[in-house]
Amino acid sequence: MSEEKTAKTLSKRKVELESISDWVGRGESVLDLGCGRGILLSELMRLKDIYAVGVDSDFDKISRCMKRGVNAYHGDIMDALRTFDDNSFDWIICSRTLPELENAREVVMESLRVARRVAVGFVNHAYWRNRFAEFFTGDRIVNEVFPSRWESSRPMNPISLNSFKEFCKDNDIIINRSRFLRGDWERPCRFWPDMFAGYAVFEISKEKQK
Amino acid sequence: MNNPVDITLGREYEGDVGIVAYSDYFCAEPLKFELGGELESFNVRYETYGRLNDDKSNAILVCHALTGDHHAAGVYSLDDRKSGWWNNIIGPNKPLDTNKYFVICSNCIGGCRGTTGPSSINPKTGERYNLSFPAVTLRDMVAVQERLITHLGIKKLAMAIGGSMGGMQCLQWAIDFPDRIGKVCALATTSRQNAQAIAFNEVGRSAIMQDPVWNNGDYKLERVPSVGLGIARMMAHITYLSDKGLEGKFGREQREGQKTPDGKEIFKPSFAIENYLHYQGQSFVNRFDANTYLYFTRALDLFDLRQYGGSLESAFRDMKAKVLVVGFTSDWLFPPAQNREIVKALLRIKKTASYAEIKSDLGHDSFLIHSPKLYKLIEYFLDV
Repeated sequence: MSEEKTAKTLSKRKVELESISDWVGRGESVLDLGCGRGILLSELMRLKDIYAVGVDSDFDKISRCMKRGVNAYHGDIMDALRTFDDNSFDWIICSRTLPELENAREVVMESLRVARRVAVGFVNHAYWRNRFAEFFTGDRIVNEVFPSRWESSRPMNPISLNSFKEFCKDNDIIINRSRFLRGDWERPCRFWPDMFAGYAVFEISKEKQK
Repeated sequence: MNNPVDITLGREYEGDVGIVAYSDYFCAEPLKFELGGELESFNVRYETYGRLNDDKSNAILVCHALTGDHHAAGVYSLDDRKSGWWNNIIGPNKPLDTNKYFVICSNCIGGCRGTTGPSSINPKTGERYNLSFPAVTLRDMVAVQERLITHLGIKKLAMAIGGSMGGMQCLQWAIDFPDRIGKVCALATTSRQNAQAIAFNEVGRSAIMQDPVWNNGDYKLERVPSVGLGIARMMAHITYLSDKGLEGKFGREQREGQKTPDGKEIFKPSFAIENYLHYQGQSFVNRFDANTYLYFTRALDLFDLRQYGGSLESAFRDMKAKVLVVGFTSDWLFPPAQNREIVKALLRIKKTASYAEIKSDLGHDSFLIHSPKLYKLIEYFLDV
């Protein structure tokens, strides 16, 4: 990957982190599903003094969490979720994890049991560039967010903003707030987000949250 | 003290602690055992590697497994072909870096490698303790280690680390002395012995106790129950490995058979794995005491952290140490799930704890074997 592309990816990741970490309150407890190298959690530990637990299925990522001093659980997301009592975390963060899950519904519902609030962030596949790429090539887009084609990337279910909202409605999930970013993942997207938002974060819960 | 800086090393020893010697700590303060019984005094044999810093904050305690001992790293002489059992982990620039840390390893109470145990002489009677030695638990082992640490002037350990029975000791440390330990790294371990592990131990003990030489524990050191102990070791050794590991190492490799085998010939060990196990059994008999084997396996069977308040959460309630537990995929003695369970309980009560799993075909003993992944993990955990 070129230097420019790497920088772009990093800044995208940063924006993604910022938009979620804004919502988390000081001293809260946060469980991150698909925590990767623990970047988000270590930032939140530093900035907001949170109690953090990350879950990931990749050893090297867990190892990186160790380096950052982030609590990490190496294993299956459902196995981790089932461990915890109802409402044992203030937050569950699920950033760009859902598309890779076989049991996304089950994970969301279990998350809503374990945490008062769940932040779900994902790439909006209905974003116009993604639509165009698919329209012209018939394939999923390949860019800095999805750097590899199907033969060397993990299986992924595309999610669109509207289908996520529908999913929430179908399952009696309350959307407390949302944040949509344009294709640059920086500027907020106010106009026709299903078409023009590149990245979306939703705060969802079972009960209405203040 | 074994300080690598003081030893001029040949190139082949680069990165190793080099030549080491053990020390003895004689404790004249009586020791009361968890299940009753008392020793008026006892000896602890131990080794140390690296240098204790001025504020005595860089000590790491290494806890050995069932058949391990205090000789965790280095060699006793330049001719010594076998280095300590965790030489790959302990040394300059190794995960337990002796340039930075002061590493301590002691033989457990009840042991047979220099620390007082059933084969030691009871000063009151002038005879060996044998079965008059008090029953030992993991808590007793840790209590004795705490005496040693205090003796060395260390208020708080930077970390305790160990695999299998060593991992259990580390957890017990964090429970019994929450203010005296900073980190715990427990590998291939469990919060209690499950029925399968107890079952294997019972087979081992039966082999020893049914050896007529055992004689209710009153055997002479010149003639030990080597048949029973050897079989116990052969059986236990299988539980430390794995199907895939054994298949890879030995497969069905076999010596040329006799042309007309009859019953006198065909049962003689001929497969490579058979000869390996016999060798393991035999060499074990030369270095391990049968009664210690009985005491330690029983200590393992009795180990159950849930006894402190009925659940793991209540056992861990006052724990302050940061914990890292590592499981190994092919470990069927203390499978990953049993390792995970420890961390799950800690996370449920919002402790600082992590679980990592390493893919390995080498079974329970994986924690003893060269593994860059494990090294990195320990290094990261230790340095944060």
